[in-house]
Amino acid sequence: MVKKLWRRGRELWRGDLMDRESQYELAHHLDLAAAEKVTAGLDAAEARRQARLELGNPEEARERLREGRTGFWLDSLLKDATLAVRALRKRPVFSAVCVLTVALGVGASTALFAVVDAVVLKPLPLPAPGALVRLYDTNLSKDVPRTGVTTGNLADWRCRVRRLRGIAGHYTMGRTLTVGGESEVVLTAQVTEDFFPLLGVAAAVGRTFTPEETHAARFNHAAAPIGPDPVVVLAHGFWRRRFGGDPEVVGRTILLERRPARVVGVMPEAFAIPGPDVQVFMPWGLTGDEPRDQHYVSALARLAAGATLPQAEEELRGVADALAREHPQTNEGWSVRLVPLQEDLVGDSGRTLTVLLAAVGLVLLVACANVALLCLARGLERGHEAAVRLALGATHRRLVWQFLMEPLVVSLAGGSLGAVIAFGGIALVKRVATGLPRLHEVALDPRALLFAGAATVLAALVSGFPSAWRRARAEPASDLAGTPARVAGTGARHAFRDGLVVAEVAMAVVLLAGASLLVRSYQRLQAVDPGFDPRGVLVAPIFLDMEAYGGAGKSRAYYATLLERLQALPGVVSAGGATALPASPLGPDFERPVWPEERPNDERWRRPAWVRVVTTDYFRTLGMQIVEGRPFDARDAPQAARAVILSRGLALRLWPDGGAVGRRLVIDYSTAGTYPYDVVGVVNDVRFGGPRTEPRHEIYLPHAKHPYLILNVAVRSEGDPRLMAPAVRNVLREVDPGKPAQGLHALEDLLGATYSRDRHAMLVLSAFAAVAVLLALLGIHGVLSHRVRERTREIGIRMAIGANRAHLLRWITGHGLRLVLIGVGLGGVLAAASARLVSGLLFGVVATDPAAAVAVAALPLVALLVSLHPAWRATRIDAAEVLRAG
Amino acid sequence: MAAEKLELLILKTLALTPLHGYGIGRRIEQTSGGVFRVTLGSLYPALQRLERDGLIDAEWRASENNRRARYYRLTASGRRRLTVEQKDWERVSAAVSRVLKAT
Repeated sequence: MVKKLWRRGRELWRGDLMDRESQYELAHHLDLAAAEKVTAGLDAAEARRQARLELGNPEEARERLREGRTGFWLDSLLKDATLAVRALRKRPVFSAVCVLTVALGVGASTALFAVVDAVVLKPLPLPAPGALVRLYDTNLSKDVPRTGVTTGNLADWRCRVRRLRGIAGHYTMGRTLTVGGESEVVLTAQVTEDFFPLLGVAAAVGRTFTPEETHAARFNHAAAPIGPDPVVVLAHGFWRRRFGGDPEVVGRTILLERRPARVVGVMPEAFAIPGPDVQVFMPWGLTGDEPRDQHYVSALARLAAGATLPQAEEELRGVADALAREHPQTNEGWSVRLVPLQEDLVGDSGRTLTVLLAAVGLVLLVACANVALLCLARGLERGHEAAVRLALGATHRRLVWQFLMEPLVVSLAGGSLGAVIAFGGIALVKRVATGLPRLHEVALDPRALLFAGAATVLAALVSGFPSAWRRARAEPASDLAGTPARVAGTGARHAFRDGLVVAEVAMAVVLLAGASLLVRSYQRLQAVDPGFDPRGVLVAPIFLDMEAYGGAGKSRAYYATLLERLQALPGVVSAGGATALPASPLGPDFERPVWPEERPNDERWRRPAWVRVVTTDYFRTLGMQIVEGRPFDARDAPQAARAVILSRGLALRLWPDGGAVGRRLVIDYSTAGTYPYDVVGVVNDVRFGGPRTEPRHEIYLPHAKHPYLILNVAVRSEGDPRLMAPAVRNVLREVDPGKPAQGLHALEDLLGATYSRDRHAMLVLSAFAAVAVLLALLGIHGVLSHRVRERTREIGIRMAIGANRAHLLRWITGHGLRLVLIGVGLGGVLAAASARLVSGLLFGVVATDPAAAVAVAALPLVALLVSLHPAWRATRIDAAEVLRAG
Repeated sequence: MAAEKLELLILKTLALTPLHGYGIGRRIEQTSGGVFRVTLGSLYPALQRLERDGLIDAEWRASENNRRARYYRLTASGRRRLTVEQKDWERVSAAVSRVLKAT
């Protein structure tokens, strides 16, 4: 046993010595045989010759001994790799094209995999994330499939539901923070008692909130903290940015809406609930008499041990039904839905990403097929070399390995380069695809690198297999006899090569069809009229604080001054503000039930409507149309009668026969009472959430009468609104240095962001399709060129016996066209089969849109152009010379 | 010649005396009356296999023409194997010839 191991070890480490020993031994063997023949009377040279004839080739024996040795595999691998690198360096262009092709395929697919992995596949970085759920209120009788929950119900659920371990509410909004005299508006989250415990995440520095701190924390109606001794927990990023990661931060004071708040802790870096942009957390204590009709709270819960989501949902619905009986006025018709937190966070991004990942997989396959084609063509050219080596004693297995080695080296180099490309690609995705959930978790991590490795191996196999397979079945004699064969080869090898091209074209067609559908869909999206004109509008969200602006009319005065100064800026056409602007995510946005005054207590005429408080010039600034009545103006003063303007859809719903203006609308503020408003105008509908959403029912109230603290100010100017940003910033600083400008955006960009996913999907898929088409064309070109080279002699003969150039052109291009047409047909079938995958991403386009067919039909034409080059080369062949050479 | 048959012949040849590769080849040719011709490409890989399996051993010694040569020698387990294989072979070949003679 020991001896065997010793021998194996010796073979592994002293393989070269043993090789020399066997070489000597074989030579000695021949010498002895020859010597015997000399004794028998032959002359020395003849003796040697006969000995060799009888005993066979010593080199072949040596090679077989080598293969039998342990470690041969590694040894020959290194040798073959060196050989392959040398061969590749001799043809730099060929090698560069191959390496780049693989690098692009591996790089793009790895980057996309990293995104898909982080967004869809990986569990949330929280303890037992599978048990975390989101809670939504739902009221089907009012056409509200899901909305936020209410603080009043949340408090009761917490006490009554057993199958949920902890239920937490949180509410996110921008608030002004001052650290060391420098103010900024940041996203803050107020969180109820169970929030941190149910997520199961402890603070990285200090601690999270105590129950006492939470119970003491209160907010006023403008969501400004008003409890005694307020405390905050900082997000990791904010702590690093504003405190330089100071570990002594606990106990320091920051100003929150101008009131001092004590820092008690810092969350870990990976913590990103409710979102990665939240910078500061505040405790939120619920009182005994919370409202049950204000659905603005986001709610989280953790399933109790052993409870499933349907069980918990069933129990919670029972509690909701009980609450509806106890509080019919507010809770009638309301129920609850549970959604797994991960599914809720990812939303329908998953579908887009799946499509793109499938697409990039196709690109990778096309890339591999192309490298396979190139290597195959090269392998054919090297048929002679292979035959010579085989004759000189190389075994079949060795030779196959050698031919496999070049694609392997190409794939490894391409894969490494691909990892670099993936790194850059991920950085690009993180910068561009800002709307994507969990984007901060995307990284070139070990899982992504593992994927890159797998993609590289796949590339090596797919690209190397065809030439290795061909080599393994090659007949050395035919290769040797004909010198590189210049007449038509066997049918099988061409069928294989042509098959690769057909597959390439088919995959390119699938991508092209998908991409053209997305382009078409994106055009449709852009053509949708959102109900306002975003061009030339700059948006500035402004959050006034209770401390300085809480008093009567102070915010009215602030906004009056601000808008007046903004309107006075050169180039500004008009300026106006609204509590919530379309396509802009910030600001208070809430629904209230409304009904015509003449139809009280009638469920059928009660509609929920979104309430917006707007300044007088708001409609003009946004380019909205008053379709009936008048806009707000100086008449809507603080002491004037209550006035309201309705969106057209709502006006038609409540007064189907028209004539809304002059009627009275009742708005239900629930606990704060119901009030009638004079309808003074009707304005066109707005697609508030962007072109993909339907218009909502909206009511507008005049800001002069309802002076909200928070407004999104819109400034319309001539020319590029982004150029107005510095001037707007100046004005804001002048009016109140404590309220700096935050997040100035062009409304066009904000609107674009609502369908940025469509845009990105369209751009990425188009890029993929372009690459695939390019590769397929390269493949066609390569195959036809090779066909011409391989058949030089045949072409020469054809020309000699009278074939003219037109005939040759037809012959070569016809072959290319045949492959393309088969590929297009196959691709068309595949595209139709995969249309369902992409149809979920489309807007206003069906998956069988003719746009796809048109794009695909263009492919054969381009392919025909590409095939003209090798065909032209065929016509340049000099028949006389070819025949002489043969 | 099938590899196993060659291996059996090598074991039998080495059972008498240690020999170098050429010697083994010559002995097999002579004793088979020239029926078996042993080529380099079959002999040495067979020796390699036998050595790996521990059935034979090798050492460098001076040969008859005063050059160094590898001499192969049967090990104890090689000897055991030879006995088994030889019996096996005799049984099989006797059976084969009985079948062939039967008419």
